[in-house]
Amino acid sequence: MGVRWVAVLRWVVAATLVLAPAGCATTTGRLTREVIRPLGADDPGAAYLLELLDRAHRLQLAGRTEWHRLGHWRSTLGGDFESQADGPNFFLSPYGKSSPGAELDATLRGFFATLPDGTSDVQYPICQFPARYRWLDKMLGFDPERLHRRPCPRFDEFYHRVDAARLSFVFSSYYLNNPASVFGHTFLRIVKRGTDQDADRRELLDFAIEFSATVDTNNALVYGFKGLLGMFPGTFRNVPYFFKVRQYNDYESRDLYEYELNFSHEEIDTFLEHLWELGSTFFDYYYVSENCSYHLLGALEVARPGLELLAYMHWPVIPADTIKALYANPGLVGAVRFRPSLRRQFRERLRGLDDEQRGLVERLVYKPATPLPQDLPAPRAIAVLDAAQDLVDIQHAKELAFEVDSGPARIKQQLLERRAEIAIPSEPLAVATPWATMPQLGHDSRRVGVGMSADDDGAMGVTLDARLALHDLADPTPGYPEYSQLEFLPLRARIRLDEGAVGRKRFELDSISLVRIVSLSAQDRFDRKLSWKVDAGVVRLDDAGCRGTCYAGQLAMGTGATLASSEARVITFATIDAHLAAGPALDGIAGSALRAGFGPAAGFRLRLASRLVSLTTGELIWLPTQRPRATWEAKSILRLGLGSSFALSLEGKLDARVATGGLMTLLYF
Amino acid sequence: MKHVFSAVLLSVLISGSASAQTAAPLAANTGAYGTAGCGLGSIVFGAKPGIMQVLAATTNGFLGTQTFGISSGTSNCGGGSSGAVAAKAFIETNREAFAKDVSRGSGETIANLATLSGCADEKAVAQTLQRNFKTIFPSAKTSNTEVSAAAIESLKADKQLACSQLI
Repeated sequence: MGVRWVAVLRWVVAATLVLAPAGCATTTGRLTREVIRPLGADDPGAAYLLELLDRAHRLQLAGRTEWHRLGHWRSTLGGDFESQADGPNFFLSPYGKSSPGAELDATLRGFFATLPDGTSDVQYPICQFPARYRWLDKMLGFDPERLHRRPCPRFDEFYHRVDAARLSFVFSSYYLNNPASVFGHTFLRIVKRGTDQDADRRELLDFAIEFSATVDTNNALVYGFKGLLGMFPGTFRNVPYFFKVRQYNDYESRDLYEYELNFSHEEIDTFLEHLWELGSTFFDYYYVSENCSYHLLGALEVARPGLELLAYMHWPVIPADTIKALYANPGLVGAVRFRPSLRRQFRERLRGLDDEQRGLVERLVYKPATPLPQDLPAPRAIAVLDAAQDLVDIQHAKELAFEVDSGPARIKQQLLERRAEIAIPSEPLAVATPWATMPQLGHDSRRVGVGMSADDDGAMGVTLDARLALHDLADPTPGYPEYSQLEFLPLRARIRLDEGAVGRKRFELDSISLVRIVSLSAQDRFDRKLSWKVDAGVVRLDDAGCRGTCYAGQLAMGTGATLASSEARVITFATIDAHLAAGPALDGIAGSALRAGFGPAAGFRLRLASRLVSLTTGELIWLPTQRPRATWEAKSILRLGLGSSFALSLEGKLDARVATGGLMTLLYF
Repeated sequence: MKHVFSAVLLSVLISGSASAQTAAPLAANTGAYGTAGCGLGSIVFGAKPGIMQVLAATTNGFLGTQTFGISSGTSNCGGGSSGAVAAKAFIETNREAFAKDVSRGSGETIANLATLSGCADEKAVAQTLQRNFKTIFPSAKTSNTEVSAAAIESLKADKQLACSQLI
């Protein structure tokens, strides 16, 4: 079956490639190399250029790591080089993308080149490539008398606008009910030079640097394919930091962690210069490899040649891994700062309220005119109104951002007016940093495992486990959200060791999923979001509806509710699930190969310690008019994390036919 | 092969995601701002909400609408580092948070606006804004541009604040 499946996939991808418009249309304007005028042979500078080229060759500069990083060249399997930069204007040589040597020569020649009078759309190479200039100058010691620096007003404007004092690497954590966001997101903050001691409170005025793709479709499927196949152009952008704060902290209610980088002034300047170079190009954006995180690291490696960051990236590149890569370079990360999401701010405000006041908050977001008790002191009234305002923002982020005069906007308006009438400023809200959920504490993203298992009839087996990414509800919790499970390609299989199993029967695939998601959302008086889950894959069935043991493609979905204790130590969830399965050996609806069922499912998770979790789940699926009439299954896991790379997992499973128990060793890598 | 695999994975994820919503037309990279001016809505995911907001999280870093080129200078939104134009863009994008801070008479957006506007005393700025709340935010219908104009006007009007960048 494997071969045919792969063939189908190939066909789908081929069709998409044919249908999609070819190429990335971001190159606008003319290429520098086609506009500049090279130095003539009889020009006074020509001799110096030849001298520099000669020295560069003798020093073998084109083979240096620093140069390869400046041009983003990576060695290919065939031993050649190819730059990951895909915009043609990043290269002064037409062969630059695949030849660091040709590009180095062209760069030196370019530094001597002139522009036709009146050129405004193209920069002098010396202005377009300031980081290359800096490094080559360091290596070759340019004589300013013979190689003239030119004024670079555009770069200077950029340099002064960002006015950098420090760099921070920012990680945006997950947001609720969107398990895919568990991957996180990263960008850089350029911390402005402070004009006073209180500069930290002016951080909204800083700039963020992000690498992101320009999307040209609104078709989710096309979008998915193009994003994964690198068909969107990714570019570096310079965005006011307050855009990011509003987008992530408020609109999406995601926490931000800021990792200050211990860079010297020279390193920061080099980074900005290189950023400027990158501004003239694009990189094909690959969702799972060359993504937002990857190229940011590449740019940092230019700023400090001693850094090793990309070496720690493996496929798939997950933003949280980039934080781990930062920490793998001792001394690189300085202070860590935390910017709480709006949701976390609201929860902090609630902590200061008693039950009656919480009740007021709950009513105010529906009836903003609800009177406050006469005897409520002003500070308490302020606390109640401030919390209610935040709750409206959380519950109606979309309407407030996109609609004028919406219902929620009117409710918020009334709450604002009432608050403004109390002419006492609110105290700053202090939110404790949740150190335990910091991404660098998380277990690594891929997983393999091996263990022993035994059935209640005495059959023994070796259990195998593999998973491409990322986290399930029983995995060690540090660094991950408590309520989300997101798994790509989780696989469970068993090699049977009992006498009866011979030949091909020895190997049994239990299940493999394309994707498995559990998105829990704890309900309380302020949050009524439903929980949901989905699992699409292939499972091995062993029941009366199956002639012997059979494999079936299965799509399982469910939705329900979750309750949790504070700090999510205890999580209980219950859902109604629907299952659809199809397989050649299935005896399903009216004798067909299709099976459909539904029924209740529940789960109970207990976090005994940060790296010790017990998870019990069960489900009962009715299969109306089919054989068997119903199936059921219960599972229990007790998993102990040892460091960030290992876990021991004691697992038991019970269904109508068999009870199985075993011990697994899991390796995260 | 890796890409083939992952393409299928993501497609399944997107099409199967319970939170996926109907697609909305996307102003693809026009560099222009929608009617909401510099409001959050216009920069985050285009003029209309829709699937982009789901995808924005799913895909870590796809930006649907606006370009903020590095070499080409920033966009016309929030590009400046000080002055009335920068203050206006700042207020409009931060509107929802700013409204709360004004009503509360304190907060981060006010502190930053005070710096941007060259005002000496952040607390006095907050006091003035809170006092003028009804002028700046008369109703839920008030547009972002009306909010920014009224806020800047109230800072200018209070001569004691001496907001040097707003002249």
